Amino acid sequence: MTAADPLASAGQDRWAEATQLRLTWWRFRRHRLAVISLVIIALFYLIAAFADFLSINDPHATDARRSFIPPQAIHFFDENGFNPHVYGLRGVRDRQTFQLVYTPDPNRKLPVQLFTRGYTYNLLGLIETDIHLIGVTGAQRGEGIFLLGTDQLGRDLFSRMIVATRVSLFIGLAGVTLSLVLGVLLGGISGLYGGWVDTVIQRVIEVLRSIPTIPLWMGLAAALPNSWSTLQVYFAITIIISLIGWTDLARVVRGRFLALREEDFVVAAELAGASQGRIIFRHMLPSFMSHVIAAVSLALPAMIVSETALSFLGLGLRPPAVSWGILLQDAQNIQVLSGAPWLLSAAVPVILVILAFNFLGDGLRDAADPYG
Amino acid sequence: MRRREFGATLLAASGLASAAMAQSSGSVRDSALVGELEGPTLVSDPARRPQRFAEAPMLAEQVRAGRLPPVEQRLPQDLMVVQPLRSVGRYGGTWRRGFIGPGDSENGNRLMSADKPLFFDKTGTQIVPCLCKGYEVSADGKRTTVFLRKGMRWSDGTPHTADDWVFWFEDLYKNPDLVPAPAPEMSADGKPGRVEKVDETTVVFIFEAANYLFPYLLAGDTLVGGGQTRQQSDGRAYSVYAPMHYLKQFLPKYSSAEALNAQARAAGFTTWVQLFRNKSDWRLNRDLPTLAAWRMVQPITGQQWVLERNPYFYAVDTEGNQLPYIDRIQMTLAENPEVVNLRAIAGDYDYQERFIDLGKLPILLENRQRSRYRVHLDPGFNGGDTVLFPSLTYTEDKEIGALLADARFRRALSLGIDREQLNEVFWLGLGTPGSVIPDRIIPESPGEEWRTKWSTHEPAQANRLLDSVGLTRKDREGFRLRRDNGQRLRIEIAVAQTLSPTWPQQAEMIVQHWRQIGIAADVKVMERSLALTRALNDQHQIFMWTNNGTESLYLYPRYALPVDPTAGVMGNAHALWFASNGQRGTAPTEPEMKRAFDLMRAAAGQQEAERIKTAQEVWKIIVEQQWGIGIVGLSPAFMGVRVVSERLENVPARTGVSQHIRTPWGARPEQWYFKS
Repeated sequence: MTAADPLASAGQDRWAEATQLRLTWWRFRRHRLAVISLVIIALFYLIAAFADFLSINDPHATDARRSFIPPQAIHFFDENGFNPHVYGLRGVRDRQTFQLVYTPDPNRKLPVQLFTRGYTYNLLGLIETDIHLIGVTGAQRGEGIFLLGTDQLGRDLFSRMIVATRVSLFIGLAGVTLSLVLGVLLGGISGLYGGWVDTVIQRVIEVLRSIPTIPLWMGLAAALPNSWSTLQVYFAITIIISLIGWTDLARVVRGRFLALREEDFVVAAELAGASQGRIIFRHMLPSFMSHVIAAVSLALPAMIVSETALSFLGLGLRPPAVSWGILLQDAQNIQVLSGAPWLLSAAVPVILVILAFNFLGDGLRDAADPYG
Repeated sequence: MRRREFGATLLAASGLASAAMAQSSGSVRDSALVGELEGPTLVSDPARRPQRFAEAPMLAEQVRAGRLPPVEQRLPQDLMVVQPLRSVGRYGGTWRRGFIGPGDSENGNRLMSADKPLFFDKTGTQIVPCLCKGYEVSADGKRTTVFLRKGMRWSDGTPHTADDWVFWFEDLYKNPDLVPAPAPEMSADGKPGRVEKVDETTVVFIFEAANYLFPYLLAGDTLVGGGQTRQQSDGRAYSVYAPMHYLKQFLPKYSSAEALNAQARAAGFTTWVQLFRNKSDWRLNRDLPTLAAWRMVQPITGQQWVLERNPYFYAVDTEGNQLPYIDRIQMTLAENPEVVNLRAIAGDYDYQERFIDLGKLPILLENRQRSRYRVHLDPGFNGGDTVLFPSLTYTEDKEIGALLADARFRRALSLGIDREQLNEVFWLGLGTPGSVIPDRIIPESPGEEWRTKWSTHEPAQANRLLDSVGLTRKDREGFRLRRDNGQRLRIEIAVAQTLSPTWPQQAEMIVQHWRQIGIAADVKVMERSLALTRALNDQHQIFMWTNNGTESLYLYPRYALPVDPTAGVMGNAHALWFASNGQRGTAPTEPEMKRAFDLMRAAAGQQEAERIKTAQEVWKIIVEQQWGIGIVGLSPAFMGVRVVSERLENVPARTGVSQHIRTPWGARPEQWYFKS
């Protein structure tokens, strides 16, 4: 143990008086990567919550005059000092290559400002507003800031990625919640009661797990009625993904139940006349919380990747929904790889979030068991 | 009786083509990638008939080994003499190409087009000889006589005679097990026609009413004009002749039903009908004799679909060399169109137009030198590469059905689309925005003022029209509300994942444009066969498709008017009503539709000049009523981007892209050859 270790440097009193939560937090803080990951994830969820406020252009607005604009930089200084601006772009189709070529127009300077007016949205679903964090003023139709460039339809990739965060992160969260409920419930029943209940649940898990996931998703996704709206498909996809996701968790929970129900402290509680509910929730559950947290934090990125993969393959969400998978779907073909590689940047947040969740899970698992 | 002189019509047609080339569809013409519409000519002068013949080395070898008779005995007396486009070629080589699986029959069907009874010139408007050396129509239009080539043989050496045509008519077409529904092409004025043999090389088609259109049906991609590749249309025995000597053995009439059923079961089928379909399918059965330039040697079901030269092919070049020059066509399976494009860019194909995506033009051009190919752009003749077809007989939602059946609503939808935007993004600016009418090169086109009619971007006018329909109330977001229950009006555009890779995105863009006129729409992307089945049952509200083929209105009206209940996209209850002469389906509510139907019915009995006028009339009604909302067309988007190996010679600088020219057959592959 190093000197910086709170467990070692703090006096015995502090150590003894600390609550479980505080111990967990001390332990967690020692895992630097996990702390950084937590910050990243918090930021991502903040972005998701304020997606429309943060996005610059209407993520759905198409315009042929700005098809495949490469990423555009903001210039912070000009001859008058600090004056953030972008240049207006002129797109001309090259008669030889048939590609649109954009050249900045030095005479057309668009000042970049904070809290500008843009498209109308509902902030947090409550307040209708058209204020956006940044934007340009005095823009004509088709002009704007395109920090990450535009796609074929001329939609701003930066804004689309921000808005996609909402769908992609919440589908993971919703899916995991569902998995968690199913997993703890079925795993708990299985481990607690044993016997034929256990056998049935375990065989169901085995059957579910023995089916290769991609074909299973394909089958289920294909079974979604075509008449469903985007929102219904969204929920259906969440359910499909979590229907497979719960099995891992159920296994873990069952294993822990089997192990713990023979432990001395459980027997002691039983002898003391504690009710079954109290035994489960006060005695058993806290002692395998770390496992559940680990399983959940690993399930979350798996959910997000599943959604991305399904949508990328065209089986998941469908346009006009915007998710990371859907953004990557646009980057599937050769034109994009050779002509508009910036569309691949939609993969960056996926990688970032998945890594962060994995590190966070790692840190949480260690922390949840501060004596371990 | 009048006899058509083919030499004269050919010359006239080529003049027409180059004149029209210079004017139509704007900006594409500035590009060096669009050449002059051209093609080889057929020599009809008997004095220029070659007297000595030569053949491919691979056949000469078989002749020496005694497995084939000499070339003089294999060729018919009535030869087809082809004047190659630029030079007399040399034999050999394999034409490498891509196909995307057993569903991609048309890829190969088109290469087998030399067995069509008649064919079209490069503009797709004038009939030229093909399998038949000529035809005659009686003055009253009731009899069409076709003249077969004397001494013509099937690919197994058996003579091809008028008996093959009568056999098809009597034993296949009239057999209800094989043909449950008669071909509309085989009737005039609702009454069925018949086929009779005059002599060994003369066949006559007799109708009870005037049918001046019939030769065009024999030349077009119709149920009677498709040659043997039409044999497998919908699994039914449409064609217009068949190899009697071979197929007889699979018919109960010449064998016995029990024996055939036993044979069918042994081969894994349940009935003799299935066995027959398999045996008469050129894609699957390599023993089926053919009259085309190549014959199939490896079926469509494998990794490679291979065709090899037909030793009995009926055409020679001006020096007496039997065609084709190229020995073999090898189509390699690609998982999807994207892979076809990648392989084309890598230089893996010698000639590929099918599945080449216009959007990839910049990359195709970039790799020209490295992969040693040329790129040609061939603008199509049809008005809409993308067309929105509102279902006129949609019943699943009364309110939406009523709106779609209202011309004002359809016009408003059309005026709400910014076509210039779509053209820029998806056609690289190479298409022509506008209505559904065909290119001005096509005589049936009603005139350019009809290209912009109801087909420009006028949101203000669109809004007024929608108000006049009664869609005046809007919700907070500005979307119009339904007239019946006050909910937001939501319309669906159904898009099939096929033909154009960008259709889903195009639909998305249109949805964005419609927001301006207060119309909320959803895009439903679905797999091709599901989409077409739903279209047949009028289950789509609006279906995005193409009107490819309508450049020949009479031969392929299905994407212009609801007249074909077997393959329609736009109100099949009307189509059924039309095809069954009012017995089934639902009668059109719009008087304009009744008028269009009457005009179409009358056309077959009209002479050419009058018939063209009728077609122009029909097109005007179609545009006026917006039964199809044309988006962008006259572009190289479908089969019009050609990747051609630098080694391949005699390839036209521009070739017609049309259903009836059977692209790429209109470029006459039998006279292409590889430079050494």
